[in-house]
Amino acid sequence: MASSIKYPDSSCVYFIEGDKLALVTNVDSSGTQNTSLRKRWKAIQEAVTDGLLLWYHAEPNNINSINDVPDIDNSLHYPIVDFVKKCLYMDRAGVSPDPNASSVAMNMAQFHENKWNEGIKRYGMRKRDKVGGTRAIKLPNLT
Amino acid sequence: MAVHSLTVKQILSRVRQVFPDAPEAYVISLINDALTEAGMYNVKTAHAKITTVADQMWYDLSDEAYSSDGSAYKLDLNKIFRVYFMDSSGDYMQIPRLLDKDLLLTDISSESALVSPDTK
Repeated sequence: MASSIKYPDSSCVYFIEGDKLALVTNVDSSGTQNTSLRKRWKAIQEAVTDGLLLWYHAEPNNINSINDVPDIDNSLHYPIVDFVKKCLYMDRAGVSPDPNASSVAMNMAQFHENKWNEGIKRYGMRKRDKVGGTRAIKLPNLT
Repeated sequence: MAVHSLTVKQILSRVRQVFPDAPEAYVISLINDALTEAGMYNVKTAHAKITTVADQMWYDLSDEAYSSDGSAYKLDLNKIFRVYFMDSSGDYMQIPRLLDKDLLLTDISSESALVSPDTK
């Protein structure tokens, strides 16, 4: 069922507080303005099935079995190996009774952490970005 | 032609080159930690639909919130970058985000729906 709001782009706004989204409008369920200068926004007054469409950055699905494929771009799979090795090296450094072996393990943990940071944080956007091609340049009309 | 990607099994075999005794369950747990951390860097884009409720102002975006388009998946939402609302023709129109929230004055029905989450 469609809503009764003809121009949501000018009659509805949203804002976010914490993990809640507020949807407010200045028209009633028949599409007539129902707010004043003092009381500018009200909660939406109609139930609209699938009325809100959100586009968002989501968390990847978790994996459960040995045959699963991580739910992120394949170019970002390799840094996951570094993340796992980083954690395992830190574990080894923590339990090793030999200070030299512990120090080497910490160095290796740092090495793999740097590779993880480079792969996901520093160059992650470049790897997963799908935008390509020549950009169109629209010159202003100066006449 | 399929692209090359790594399964958990392949990741585990690479890890076991250095750590032959690495437990499978522990490595899976670490991979999930990696995915959670990677999720903070916008690695996955998704969309969801939510049914609006009359006189309800707040809609739940927490990790346990569900979309209402019938797919019954959790939102798993990190950051919203676009919001649309259905107009009278049934088309989704992008709506703006209110920046100056201090100007907002709501009515009593909005306030009473302050903590009502949108669940299926």
